[in-house]
Amino acid sequence: MTSLRPSPAPPLVEPDIRARLRAFVEENFLYMRPDFVLRDEDRLLERGVIDSMGVVEMITFIEDEFGVKTADDEISEANLGTLAAIAAFVSNKRNSANA
Amino acid sequence: MCGIAGIGLAQGTGVEVKTLSRMAAAIRHRGPDGYGFYADQRVGLAHVRLSIVDVAGGAQPLTNETGNVVVTFNGEVYNHLELRRQLEARGHVFKTRCDTEVLVHGYEEWGPQLLSRLNGQFAFAIYDAAAQTIFLARDRFGVRPLFYAVRDEALYFASEVKALFASGEVDATPDPVALDEVFTFWAPRAPRSGFAGVAALEPGTYAMWRDGSLRVHRYYELGFCDHDLEPADAIERLDALMRSGVELRMRADVPVGAYLSGGLDSSITATLAAAASPHQLRSFSITFDDPRFDESQFQRDVAAVVGSSHSVASMGATTIADSFPDVIWHTEIPIVRTAPAPMFHLARLTKACGIKVVLTGEGADELFLGYDLFKEVSVRRFCLRRPESSVRRKLFGRLYPYLDAPGATGGEFWQRYFLDAGDCADPVFSHLPRFALTSWIKGFYSPDFAASLDQTDVISELRDSLPERYHSWSPLNKAAYLEMTLLLASYLLSSQGDRMAMAHGVEGRFPFLDHRLFEFSAALPTSSRLRGLKEKEILRRWAKHILQGETVARRKQPYRAPDAASFFGRGTPSYVLDLLSEDSIRRSGLWSHKAVTGLVRRCASGRAATFRENQALVGILSTQLWMHRFVESAASNATLDPKHADVLLQDAAPSLP
Repeated sequence: MTSLRPSPAPPLVEPDIRARLRAFVEENFLYMRPDFVLRDEDRLLERGVIDSMGVVEMITFIEDEFGVKTADDEISEANLGTLAAIAAFVSNKRNSANA
Repeated sequence: MCGIAGIGLAQGTGVEVKTLSRMAAAIRHRGPDGYGFYADQRVGLAHVRLSIVDVAGGAQPLTNETGNVVVTFNGEVYNHLELRRQLEARGHVFKTRCDTEVLVHGYEEWGPQLLSRLNGQFAFAIYDAAAQTIFLARDRFGVRPLFYAVRDEALYFASEVKALFASGEVDATPDPVALDEVFTFWAPRAPRSGFAGVAALEPGTYAMWRDGSLRVHRYYELGFCDHDLEPADAIERLDALMRSGVELRMRADVPVGAYLSGGLDSSITATLAAAASPHQLRSFSITFDDPRFDESQFQRDVAAVVGSSHSVASMGATTIADSFPDVIWHTEIPIVRTAPAPMFHLARLTKACGIKVVLTGEGADELFLGYDLFKEVSVRRFCLRRPESSVRRKLFGRLYPYLDAPGATGGEFWQRYFLDAGDCADPVFSHLPRFALTSWIKGFYSPDFAASLDQTDVISELRDSLPERYHSWSPLNKAAYLEMTLLLASYLLSSQGDRMAMAHGVEGRFPFLDHRLFEFSAALPTSSRLRGLKEKEILRRWAKHILQGETVARRKQPYRAPDAASFFGRGTPSYVLDLLSEDSIRRSGLWSHKAVTGLVRRCASGRAATFRENQALVGILSTQLWMHRFVESAASNATLDPKHADVLLQDAAPSLP
């Protein structure tokens, strides 16, 4: 008799993370600007996509969606300034947690 | 305190009392104790009275000895006893004890120069029958409102815009630029009102109507001196001015109460009022079920020390939403915060307790640099001198400590928000972060509405309008000037002040807005007002002598009320969903319905946590209410029966209705 084990969920890769982040940002921060073109490298604060309070919402989303906790000293433009930066930050945190 | 209205005709075709009575009925809430009319071939005046001084004898309109100078007056002249003595010495004969009467005799004696002699809060109209002129005037800081419209060479004026509409001669047409100012500065800049062709008389100005044309003149300028040294007798002078300012404002023939927020400013006014009152002081506060906004413990502590009989207006989960339509009826302009709504309830409670005059602490934050905005200006300038300094940037973490958003107010994003807000050389540098935050609402404009504003840049208009002397002032004095002209007169004293109190026939009095105190504060070094990041420094230094230590040392807690949560917390009133529905949004034409639907979804799910979304929700909802109540509905046709008027002066005017 062979035991049935669930197949492991495919690991999240950066493009998937980026896509989910984009969907979150579009639904929650760009709903009033349907024609707004947001590139992965666009600075979210500078382009008026999120403000400092919106960053808190983003941090909560990252934790709920990807299980990634953000320390106070990690709340920076380098980690959370663009979609690409956030995706890399999340990916790195997940990888280091799984290592 | 009262309400006034009137009409001036270029041709002597006769003013109808019926028209005046409709105008008066529209603002009856301002003066429930009586009303009166004057009408002749060219001019009509109406008055609704809240009797405070000379209760028995102060009915209006009121005339001089010969009956050819007639006044309708809203407000108080606190130094009327002193002016009366001067006028009696010059031969004028008074027939009442009322402060109103110094206006008619003072105008006869001094003409428009009368205004510089008045210590008070006022908006009034004087008809000089001999000269065939109407003289309209408004106090220095804009405590009392006055609006006017000119149609076919006829002048219509009133304390509130709804009375102009009730005349039947003035239409309620939205002014797109005024709305754009609301969504930048929080309120239109006078002379703009919210309506096209309706002007607000600017604070510190008067207007003269003659032969079908109106000319506006400024009689008072806000000025600042950038002195380096505080005068040696500054504390003694502040003490004398504060006591005199309160004592003058206790002059009334009815009991005077006090609003208590629990902060420094209202604690000062309540303490001095209690000392000057012949009765036990009645005090009134707002409490919130939501502990993030509630200051009831501080209020109770101050009331206990002052010895006042204290009453509270409690804001439950639905209180603000339930009254918001009435609030917008009285503000007559969209708003981006719900903060006026609790003031509406506070006035209702005050009136129910039998008090119709209250002292309040407004003005102290402008005069003594109490707002966080002033600290923000200092920190931004300090950091922009060395933007690479991470140590300097940490100061941003000390701004707005009351915000309940851990992680949002200390980090790099918070710092960047301020650092990127604008250049120090910009004349309106101080207010650029606020303008940017508020302007986020404009992302919800419909394409058509946005296109109608294509050529409009209200911030550039503001820059261009600043007086020459402004550019020589220090950054903090520039910020204080902007705060007084943009927010104090147009929003705090209006939407949150006069309109909410007078909705229930309650008069607010403002000891900190005594012009002598303003002139004293404006000549102090800014370091006496904001020392480092310690606000209202000289006021605290002085207040140690009259208040207990804890109140003096307590950091400023801004008055706030729940915004989006008021409408999407425990149940959403049907009017909210109706007015924010696709049909209603399309009908008003101002907003993108898809964007509003997205915002409503965010609010309903409790995720609209950011300032800008809260402001957007309140701004859009209040605009929809405003459109519904003023633009899409017919003006009131109610009248006050002239047969029951306290005063009915007619000179060959058309017959009564």
